[in-house]
Amino acid sequence: MLRASRHRPGPRGQSREAGEGQQGGGGRKEGRGRGRTSLDPQRSSSQTGSNSAGCSLKRCPRRGTRTMALCGKSWLANEGSKHLCLLFWFSLNVGLFWKTFLLYYHGPQYYYLHQMLGLGLCISRASASVLNVNCSLILLPMCRILLAFLRGSQKVASRKTRRLLDKSKTFHVTCGVTICVFSGLHVAAHLVNVLNFSMNYTEEFLALNAASYRGEDPRKLLFTTVPGLTGVLMVLVLFLMCTASTYAIRLSDYDIFWYTHNLFFVFYVLLMVHVSGGVLKYQINLEEHPPGCFHPNTSLQEDIPVPGSFEEPFPEYSPEAFPPEPEQFVEKNFVGICTEEPKFQSHFPETWLWISGPLCLYCAERLYRYFRSNKPVTIVSVISHPCNVLELRMRKENFKARPGQYIILHCPRASALESHPFTLTMCPTDTKATFGVHLKIVGDWTERFQDLLLLHSRQNTEILPNFHQRNYPKVYVDGPFGSPSEESLNYEVSLCVAGGIGVTPFASILNTLLDDWQCYKLRRLYFIWVCREIQSFLWFADLLCMLHNKLWQENRPDYINIQLYLSQTDGIQKTIGEKYQVLNSRLLIGRPHWKLLFDEIAKCNRQKTVGVFYCGPNEISKVLHKLSNSNNSYGTRFEYNKESFS
Amino acid sequence: MGRIEWAMWANEQALASGLILVAGGIVAVAAQFKGWPFAAYSIAAGVFVCLLEYPRGKRKKGSTMERCGQKYLTAVVKIFGPVTRNYYVRAILHAALAVPAGFLLSTILGTACLAIASAIYLLAAIRGEEWNPIEQKKPPERPPVGGGTIKQPPSMPPPRPPVETRKKQPLEEAAQENPIPVTSEAE
Repeated sequence: MLRASRHRPGPRGQSREAGEGQQGGGGRKEGRGRGRTSLDPQRSSSQTGSNSAGCSLKRCPRRGTRTMALCGKSWLANEGSKHLCLLFWFSLNVGLFWKTFLLYYHGPQYYYLHQMLGLGLCISRASASVLNVNCSLILLPMCRILLAFLRGSQKVASRKTRRLLDKSKTFHVTCGVTICVFSGLHVAAHLVNVLNFSMNYTEEFLALNAASYRGEDPRKLLFTTVPGLTGVLMVLVLFLMCTASTYAIRLSDYDIFWYTHNLFFVFYVLLMVHVSGGVLKYQINLEEHPPGCFHPNTSLQEDIPVPGSFEEPFPEYSPEAFPPEPEQFVEKNFVGICTEEPKFQSHFPETWLWISGPLCLYCAERLYRYFRSNKPVTIVSVISHPCNVLELRMRKENFKARPGQYIILHCPRASALESHPFTLTMCPTDTKATFGVHLKIVGDWTERFQDLLLLHSRQNTEILPNFHQRNYPKVYVDGPFGSPSEESLNYEVSLCVAGGIGVTPFASILNTLLDDWQCYKLRRLYFIWVCREIQSFLWFADLLCMLHNKLWQENRPDYINIQLYLSQTDGIQKTIGEKYQVLNSRLLIGRPHWKLLFDEIAKCNRQKTVGVFYCGPNEISKVLHKLSNSNNSYGTRFEYNKESFS
Repeated sequence: MGRIEWAMWANEQALASGLILVAGGIVAVAAQFKGWPFAAYSIAAGVFVCLLEYPRGKRKKGSTMERCGQKYLTAVVKIFGPVTRNYYVRAILHAALAVPAGFLLSTILGTACLAIASAIYLLAAIRGEEWNPIEQKKPPERPPVGGGTIKQPPSMPPPRPPVETRKKQPLEEAAQENPIPVTSEAE
């Protein structure tokens, strides 16, 4: 389940390269007439330093905006383990495909079946084994509670493994695409098999053949057998799921994606019935009847198949001699004597073994989530913020969350079926059990939710506060689930970049630091927040000022380095508010100059590993990813972690 | 569920079905199966459906992602006016195109998928949706700086000599000489 409501239809197609930002050091005025300077002493002193011939960046020749520098430790740190995992998965699939193909091509127990069906048998079985693996692996990234547990326990998994968990959605999509491609292959091969069953029907191998008479219409075979019918239905379900999962649909109509994707359960039920059909058979009496053996009884001789027909790739529609003449056979092969006729037995459905584990795990997790979220929360307060943002503060028994995690809200009165994820902006602590979320009102669910919440607040302004509780709609909370931003407290130096409403995961980090900043590994936090409207900064202006003042009081003013950017301006001078002078002096107009920022951070934190965290629109993400992968001359490594937005 | 635009999903499905039809048709024609004229038909129908469905329609609310290079086909599809704008026509057209491909085994899946797409288009048409082309945006005109009154740089920028000496010299000599020629960007 993904973040529908936080998507804002932002400007597409505008390439936001590391653009003309405002350099505020030293009182220099740029051509745009903006005079706000940053008071950060480190920045102004390093300004002159970084402009001189400091950094030599190794870059590979550009091939478009998405090139990453392929050399260097940074790239290996960022991309290495991800690619290794992918390679492992890929080789697993290739190995399984090849092994199954060879088994059916050469295996004696499938000799007669292979004679009848040709290459179609091998391809369909090999693709089926790949489908088995992927259908079982695809469920694992969706077990969110398990993933949240792995993220939280720092003893169980090292940081590298936890960073791999960020890519769970990508892995899910990869497995999905593989399932689609190999389903296509499997279906094509089985269509050929059905044709061959019909054309190569013979009295000798009645048990082996799915057809009832020679030349039976293949379409009839397809629709009247259990595997055939379930297969067709599965393809249709897969078609519906696939077409609704494209990026364009997810962006514009998330509901279609969500409802069709829940058909996966139908798919799995059909899959389990599909493999129980028992059409695939193997020979069990190999010692008594070695395949292709010579039977002294003449009635069997005419029907002995010939290994020569192995070489035909696809038997054609036109009637073919099956079984071929026995004379060819006697010349080519050395045979034993058959003592009895071949006996066949159906396979045990191997797919059940593959998918039962992950399916049970996933179902158990859904049940657990359902029971855990069944108690409604108590809404403490509802606060309206400028620029269409609503803050909701709640309380729930036994609710524990780490900063950076997200929850899923379900309000039956707003919509019976929908639930939407929101990042926690305030986590419950030992002293305070209240937790909060900030919602941006974009879609119809959030609008209805806002109406329900504010309507009751407005109506009850004259009544005593006790009455507020009874009239708020019932809200259920599922979670909390993990996200990449949780790691920001585990680096010595972190760079947190937020775009617009993407500041929410970092707000919970800041709230946690406000509580107690000394017990974490974090020593310095660079906080960059880019917004389009100045009123947006009011969402967390109080929090930032309080944190800044607290750190000043405790003699660590350089712990947090705040930079606020207003990316769009109509030329009028703006301030955030009279009482937020701390933030006004750190407000810069224009887009940040990312390259200079990274150089500055690299220079001030040499030989260290800096965690880069980003949450916001995709354009900035590409730039940050590229810069994190490129080398710098100070030996600083940037590890890139992105929170996915939609 | 109130604001789902079904047409966009039907469009994706129809495009995918067109591709499936083409693939199934190619296999049947290449292997010269019995009844391969049906396969040739399905290739033609598949290509037609793909071309018709490639340009994505404009959503009622919000911005729509264009497919790569779709503006050329948008121009072509736009010409047919109400025939391509109405989704009832598309639903019936897809249903009709799907039927002949159902007679051949290798294209039967394409038939099923196109039939589903046709059903979703019917649903979209019942809910009153229409196909509107995505127009190309003209770049917005920037207003001239200073209301268009500023054309030349200042003629006597600082540092200026004292008032007495300034009055004695004519304006042309006191004016600054620009080392490189300057033109105002507002023009």
